[in-house]
Amino acid sequence: MPIPRKPDQSVVTTCAYCGVGCGFKAEMFDGRVVRMIPWKEGKANHGHSCVKGRFAFDYYRHPDRVTAPMVRASIDQPWREVTWDEAFTHAASELKRIQAQYGRGSVGAVSSSRCTNEEIFLMQKFARVALRNNNIDNCSRICHSPTQFGLSATLGAGAASQHFDSILQADVILVVGANPTEGHPVFGSMMKRRIRQGAKLIVLDPRRTETVESPHCRADVHLALKPGTNVAVLNSVAHVVVREKLYDEAFIRSRCHWKEFEQWMAFVGDHRYSPEVVGPEAGLAPEDIRCAARLYASGPRSTIYYGLGVTEHSQGSTGVMCLGNLALACGMIGREGVGVNPLRGQGNVQGGSCLGSWPHMFSGYRFVTDDSVRASFEQDWGLALDPEPGLRITNMFDAALAGTFKAIYIQGEDPVQSDPNQNHIMAAMRNMECVIVQDLFLTETAKFAHIFLPGSSSLEKNGTFTNAERRVSMVRKLTAPLAGLEDWEITVGMINAMGYPLRYDDASQVLDEVARLSPAYQGMSFALIDRVGSVQWPCGPDAPEGTEVLHIKAFPRGKANFMLTGYVPTQERTDDRYPLLLTTGRILSQYNVGTQTRRTGNVAWYDEDVLEIHALDALARGIGEGDWASIASRYGSTRLRAKLSERVSPGVIYTTFHFAQSKVNAITSDLSDWATNCPEYKVTAVEVTKLQTSVRSEAGNPVAEEEQA
Amino acid sequence: MWSELRALREDVDYGTPPRDGEPVTLMVDGEPVTVAAGSSVMFAAAAAGRSVPKLCATDMLEAFGSCRVCLVEIEGRKGFPAACTTPVEAGMAVCTVSPRLSELRAGVMELYLSDFPSEDIAGGWSELHDVIAATGVASSPYGPGENHLADPIDQSNPYFLFDPAKCIVCSRCVRACEEVQGTFALTIAGRGFDSKVVASQGESFLDSECVSCGACVQACPTQSLVEKSLFEGGYRRADSPQA
Repeated sequence: MPIPRKPDQSVVTTCAYCGVGCGFKAEMFDGRVVRMIPWKEGKANHGHSCVKGRFAFDYYRHPDRVTAPMVRASIDQPWREVTWDEAFTHAASELKRIQAQYGRGSVGAVSSSRCTNEEIFLMQKFARVALRNNNIDNCSRICHSPTQFGLSATLGAGAASQHFDSILQADVILVVGANPTEGHPVFGSMMKRRIRQGAKLIVLDPRRTETVESPHCRADVHLALKPGTNVAVLNSVAHVVVREKLYDEAFIRSRCHWKEFEQWMAFVGDHRYSPEVVGPEAGLAPEDIRCAARLYASGPRSTIYYGLGVTEHSQGSTGVMCLGNLALACGMIGREGVGVNPLRGQGNVQGGSCLGSWPHMFSGYRFVTDDSVRASFEQDWGLALDPEPGLRITNMFDAALAGTFKAIYIQGEDPVQSDPNQNHIMAAMRNMECVIVQDLFLTETAKFAHIFLPGSSSLEKNGTFTNAERRVSMVRKLTAPLAGLEDWEITVGMINAMGYPLRYDDASQVLDEVARLSPAYQGMSFALIDRVGSVQWPCGPDAPEGTEVLHIKAFPRGKANFMLTGYVPTQERTDDRYPLLLTTGRILSQYNVGTQTRRTGNVAWYDEDVLEIHALDALARGIGEGDWASIASRYGSTRLRAKLSERVSPGVIYTTFHFAQSKVNAITSDLSDWATNCPEYKVTAVEVTKLQTSVRSEAGNPVAEEEQA
Repeated sequence: MWSELRALREDVDYGTPPRDGEPVTLMVDGEPVTVAAGSSVMFAAAAAGRSVPKLCATDMLEAFGSCRVCLVEIEGRKGFPAACTTPVEAGMAVCTVSPRLSELRAGVMELYLSDFPSEDIAGGWSELHDVIAATGVASSPYGPGENHLADPIDQSNPYFLFDPAKCIVCSRCVRACEEVQGTFALTIAGRGFDSKVVASQGESFLDSECVSCGACVQACPTQSLVEKSLFEGGYRRADSPQA
């Protein structure tokens, strides 16, 4: 008789997948999570969910989970299980040996946006008090570091200006380099709700995504620009705003520096950014650029949402500044229904930015070089801190190749699969003497590790996540950590083993320390979040329950700044050998490097990365639907199965990076954003050729041979 | 504007979405209650702490008015209007409990249960089971007739299944797919007794445009759409073929 088992326990927690940060009631039966029900009072999701958060949670008890710490002398030896104490002692002695031999700066740490705020905060504390340097970075380096830089430069705060609900008051929605219906599905549903109510939609994206066209949702203007031309196109939009006098003079005079605006006006108003000049270069009709500009400027409430299609370029930071400039010029900031909002990829990218896992900044975006800021941390932590900024992730790997960087502690991050120019990363990893990886599974990066610390899933620990709208929500422990320790306890164990005594009774005391040392978080506590459900920073005496919309009366620096955003084309160019442009992204059912979602039923929809290629490009190369194709760039090559698609324009190909065997990042370049080193994942010149056979080996990996030319 | 999302509460289902309108005061079972203009009588009753039985209504979806168990009496009006589709008016006097209403609701429930697997009534815990408890109708007096009890079960989705034997065609899944998710993957095919929920053009859920967001499963009041994880050892109906 098929009557379902009724769950006997229910705990409200926060989804660990994308930056929407949906609230869920985790329902359990006999101590096991049996279903996740979207929380109706969740302020990010209002009772809605997507296939990942709602269903793809079973990875937490997948047999691949590592349940005991492991060590090995070299990466070609088998792993040996050890106790936690042995693992910590061994790790600390290795780190100290290496520092004694190669210097204090020869070691570093990397934290991840999948970790809680508390874990990220402790990782930077580990680097600063245990390694005694600032070699700490986090994976928002490779996705949204340009957001922090670009929005700080223009608006004064490197975070979303709005809350998600604000979109329900928008008249015009401008989506740039993002595909919310797949990447941020629950927010995508809210956006579509608003579009069905009549809001206009402008999309800047090389692909015809679901956001561009789906049932009852169609972009009024789609600028399918050539990858890499964001800055030129956004300058051109600004050109139209300026030349057609569509700007909001009253707003600019009261909230910005008029002289600065005049300089900017002269800059973008120059003929070189007219739609007639930019259009042909970006593959756009000039009239479409004009339409987009007029629609955005007309509002009356226009809002901007953008993703990694803006940031992951050699001019990522410049692109973000273009968006800040545009919103300022049109007065579309500082009230409901407007704003500039990054859509964050991973659950805690915003927290990763806020909590000081940066080589140059403490929590709350304050510089390590600032004596008074450093003094406040020194006083709290009781020791002198290094005033010199440390290495970024990319610098760490470069230094490892150069032989000056010898050990790394990586928490919840898989750079071998996710970082660009994979061959370069693997060579760097091999060159290190001690690689410590803390993760749920033996990832691609763990193949290069000497010490493996088994982490806890988000269902096995307490802490907080900060979502893309600055909302801090509780992650609650539903079940005991499989390997015995919550992630934050592991980092505390490492810090203690390094000789710095540290003790917290529970994760709430870590957030208390964050609040004590970081202005934006000063009112935050587990107790407050428990009481009001979730809290958007800034939270403090002026806003005891948080802040939904930023910049209402003033900007953090008083007035906002217009930045000059000159277009410098990427060095990554097509030529006769590499005539196509590859751009990468994600799809609905898989998440990031797939560590979690590949181990769930979600493979029913998507069990391999595929190459989206326009039929004209495919035809010219004799490639048919489902054929194996080789993709080669100046950096490396890989092979994928082809899918003929009209979502991409001729000359552009697209794929995802969810599966390790696809090795998509073997072909991406090591070019990066000029300001923040955020990699240029979105533009790689490639050539595609047909591979002859299309059989699969027993391991499920493609076996194919190059077709004889 | 946004009360339909922001004013939702975990522990109460108002039946129809919260509204942003001006306050309107009416009487429900003799007690005054004030709600926003544009709210339904069902919403007002829930706000007054009265529970009107309902199947096709839930506060994350617009009112639909198909299930006919939320009938009420309104002073000065003929008949028995559905609480979900009747907007509130100032001074309106609503009665949610009366012998005649109980009789009407019982009659409707007997019809639903005439085409519902009888072995799934005792021990169940869906919204349908709540209404069974509220109306006191746990079986149907009608003899065996044409039914949907042997319709094939769709187990194609890795996470949830659709058992049409339990479906009362209230359209909550279809409306959740449209209004909450915005994918428009589900529809009701056929007319009258042949009406059934289908994905895309009558494809399996997995092959359809369904994005597996789970909104339909959450909306379903009968566990016709239900998470597979709630069944140890898989889901089988003795006499039903697998789709």
